[in-house]
Amino acid sequence: MKTVKREKKEGRKRRIRPELSEEERVKRFRMPGRKKDGEKDGEKSGNGIRKKNAKGRRTSAAFLSPSIFGVLLFFVVPFLVVIYYSVVDNPIQHNFVFLDNFVNVFHNAAFRQAAYNTMKFSVIAVPLAVVLSLGLAMLLDSKIPFKSQFRTFFLTPMMVPIASIVLIWQVLFHYNGMVNDITALFGMGKIDWLKSEHAQVVIIVLFLWKNLGYNMILFMSALGSIPKDILEVAVLESAKPRQIFFHIKIRYLSSTILFVTIMSLINSFKVFREIYLLTDDYPYNTVYMMQHFMNNTFGNLDYQKLSAAAIMMSIVMVIIIGSLFLAENHFGKDVEG
Amino acid sequence: MQKKMSKRIWSMLMAAGLLFLGGCGNETDEGQTDTSGKGQDDFVYVAEYQSLDGICEHVNTPVLGKDGNVYFTGTKDSEDFFFSMKAGEDDVKEVPLELEKGMHVSAMGEDSEGNLLLGLVRYEGDPEAGGTLKNVAIQKMSPEGEKLELVDTGNAFLKKDSSSFYIGHVLQDGDGNYYICSGQDIYVLRTDGSLYFEISVGQYVNNMFAMKDGRVVAAYFGNTGWSLEAVDLAQKSLKPLESSIVFDYGTYLDGTDTDLLYTQNAILYQCDLGDEKPTELLNWMDSDINSGNLRDFTILPDGRIVAVTVDYSAGAETELSILTRKNRSEVPEKEILTYASLYVPYYTENDIVAFNKQSDKYRIEVKEYGDDTMDYEDRVALLNADLTSGSAPDIIDLNYCLLSLEELVSAGVVEDLTPYLEADGTIKREDMVENVLRAYEQDGRLYGIMSCFGIEAIVGKVSDVGDEASWSIEDMMALVDAKGRDAEIIEYVDKAYMLSTLCMMNQNRFIDPETGTCDFTGGEFAKLLEFADRFPKEVDYDANGPSEIEKIRSGQLLLLTRSITSVAMYQMFEYEFGEPVNFVGYPTMEGSGLLLNVNGTTAAMHAGSKNKEGVWEFIRFNLSEKRQENLPTANGGFPILKSALDKELAEAMEDEYYEDEDGNQKLTSKATWGTGDFSVEVYAATQEQVDRIREMIETAQPNVREDHKISEIINEEAQAYFDGQKSAEDVAALVQNRVQTYLNETK
Repeated sequence: MKTVKREKKEGRKRRIRPELSEEERVKRFRMPGRKKDGEKDGEKSGNGIRKKNAKGRRTSAAFLSPSIFGVLLFFVVPFLVVIYYSVVDNPIQHNFVFLDNFVNVFHNAAFRQAAYNTMKFSVIAVPLAVVLSLGLAMLLDSKIPFKSQFRTFFLTPMMVPIASIVLIWQVLFHYNGMVNDITALFGMGKIDWLKSEHAQVVIIVLFLWKNLGYNMILFMSALGSIPKDILEVAVLESAKPRQIFFHIKIRYLSSTILFVTIMSLINSFKVFREIYLLTDDYPYNTVYMMQHFMNNTFGNLDYQKLSAAAIMMSIVMVIIIGSLFLAENHFGKDVEG
Repeated sequence: MQKKMSKRIWSMLMAAGLLFLGGCGNETDEGQTDTSGKGQDDFVYVAEYQSLDGICEHVNTPVLGKDGNVYFTGTKDSEDFFFSMKAGEDDVKEVPLELEKGMHVSAMGEDSEGNLLLGLVRYEGDPEAGGTLKNVAIQKMSPEGEKLELVDTGNAFLKKDSSSFYIGHVLQDGDGNYYICSGQDIYVLRTDGSLYFEISVGQYVNNMFAMKDGRVVAAYFGNTGWSLEAVDLAQKSLKPLESSIVFDYGTYLDGTDTDLLYTQNAILYQCDLGDEKPTELLNWMDSDINSGNLRDFTILPDGRIVAVTVDYSAGAETELSILTRKNRSEVPEKEILTYASLYVPYYTENDIVAFNKQSDKYRIEVKEYGDDTMDYEDRVALLNADLTSGSAPDIIDLNYCLLSLEELVSAGVVEDLTPYLEADGTIKREDMVENVLRAYEQDGRLYGIMSCFGIEAIVGKVSDVGDEASWSIEDMMALVDAKGRDAEIIEYVDKAYMLSTLCMMNQNRFIDPETGTCDFTGGEFAKLLEFADRFPKEVDYDANGPSEIEKIRSGQLLLLTRSITSVAMYQMFEYEFGEPVNFVGYPTMEGSGLLLNVNGTTAAMHAGSKNKEGVWEFIRFNLSEKRQENLPTANGGFPILKSALDKELAEAMEDEYYEDEDGNQKLTSKATWGTGDFSVEVYAATQEQVDRIREMIETAQPNVREDHKISEIINEEAQAYFDGQKSAEDVAALVQNRVQTYLNETK
């Protein structure tokens, strides 16, 4: 059964790998310096190989050590320090409190608010970012005029510095901003966009405006790599556009969708930067994010709370990203990508 | 093989390059000022101290000559003498001055040839009690004490406001012109003593000296900052010195080999005016000298530095310090305690220097975090990084920390002082004023002790504010309504300041620290907003407008916010308002609105300190009877030690006398107080006044600490109300939303 499956797969890949004889296989994979069959394994030559291997390992270790040291110093050790801080009462007295900090953080109203807001934002913004950018990519992939101009237009936000983006958004959504001026023309009252229940809507719009272009380019590239012959065959076999989209394009785009989703998810956590610049460290509660909580607890020297929150967040991130990988493996397993 | 070797050589070169780059930068972290001087040089200036106090009854006008001699005048057996002595030697040369009866030495200076000039003033009667100025003269003496010349200024000064005339500085230029400085005025006299011209500086002249090129320079803090200006004889005015160096508040003198020798922020610098930056010579604190006590200093030809200091915290002790440069290895080692602060006020510098001087075991070194040019966040970040790391300081200044006590406690940074206080054999809890001691208490634990304090109050006429110990916002609103909109309620107080002050005073009404909840939407906050809106949005200082006292007495200005730090200050306000006054405090919804202000070193012990005994020794030192009874200045604040406070209040009620020309004891004022617009002679306080001060101290609120974050949120949101864009209710709702998030976070 296994052999049949492999043959099927290899057939789809259109690669023909001729079966090798045992003799050829040995010949092809013989290690340099290894004696041929029938040659006697002399003590001297065995030592030579071991020495050479040991020297090779030492050389590899020497070249790898700066990177390993860097990873240890800047990633592993800080992470261990964070774990340590999360189980002690404070960075001065270092009394072991086990999971107390996690319990405190879990019961902290600000943490819950931040976690809820971040989750709500990600749940709304990430699918929107994926779907809208895919839609735009599909649109630009079809035969429409001014494709190049549209592409440039959607990529423009990527070129604008964050400070300018924030400034533009402030001009637009300030209490005395342009949006309120426009709504006033229709007789609507003023809305304090950034300090009201509407605040998260503003941030989602900002997030989409900033990220759609990049996602769109990724999808356009993936769409371009779908084999044309399959699409042509589907058209010849009278497949409807909807069927082509769901049964062919989406399957071929699965790895790109996963990548765009992960990137959007990461970017959704990074939206704190824009919120912070727009609304400072204690914003209206609907836009109070996880990074606000962490940033503020760091400023207040509450490292144990910060560490516990960071670990909880990283666990959630691992679960989400792991689930996405599993989903991709499931849906895209029969498509090479 | 060659290729391999080449790779190795390149790798080694790159590694060397990285090491080189890694070695770049200063040894101290950016933004931190380690005033210990360690890490910069391997030497230190070691001071030998020589007290001048035993030589005469009161050391007066000490100056240093370029020859290393110290010259001063003083009284011995009721006779005035001129003294000179070589720095570091015990031989004192004394010459009787034989002054005209009633004449006293007001200042001493030098001419261009190294002769001494004694500025003499004679009053008829007690000058502090409206005596009349009768004569001003300059006595020139050789360094050996030989009287060379007596220059009588005749009538040059007699037309002046004689009650306030004194000589602050006296000197002579190479052309023979004399210069006398009195307060804000500089007088240039011809060689014969006649008045050539006078310059009104408009600001108090701190220092006056002659530079090497003969120019006479006045140093003062002007409207645009610190100024060094030379007297221009042709224009009869002051002309700024040209230099690319930015000078700041300090003590400025002529240099030995350079144009200037000056002290700024406890550092001694020298420079020529053409230099791009000054040369740092030493930090006075390293040599256990308080730069605030410096009267004169000079560099001797052999490189030693000599300084004269007067320490008022030790009963006006005059001391000569001779600083010799030595290797650090030659100096006996002490255990180092680090004092962390964002700024070191004069009283803390004084306490640290005094502690270092008397302790054989410990030495405190100051670590300042950033300066005014840095952002608040950057300074806090620097301090935070140290507080929670291995390089944590031993002592934290609670007043100049920027982190609230709550933050420090929740991070476990500060140690509970209660066990140290209980175990101490020399000082007890009941020896201190209870509510002041509680100022830095939290959950029954004591984290800091305010060694000296003032009371912040709103001062107003009894006829306006009543005679009750406290008042409400409604009372204040009623006063404002009664006086009309034209009357200024409090001078230089704007909407934002009033709002944040009222919120701070009434924070218990809005915030429940137990449950971590707040209620700004109940209507009371809206009332505060409406009240604060009555104040101006911005306040500008009007230099040409009527003076403070004129505005108060004419009813244009109703109230003052002031920190009362002495009985004499209390008496001064009674005079200023021209009728009985009440120190009523900020309007509150409950209790007294009087606030305790820190006016002395307030140290906390770092929980991770390895020298906790040393830290406690420093805290205890500041609470010792000697330190508490001799606070740095007359206006230094009230001591926390009950016995010292009782003594101060009792002394304030004692009359002072002087002996007139006929030997009769006559009542004299205890001090002269004023604000620049007026001055008042202060006599012994009444029992009633002292009782009121005691009541104020006992009812002042110790636990009101402004939460900067809450104030920031309130002020930010309140702007929309003040601008007329949002209603008070909308603003209250926004404040409620944001402050609640903040409180949730800190729970």
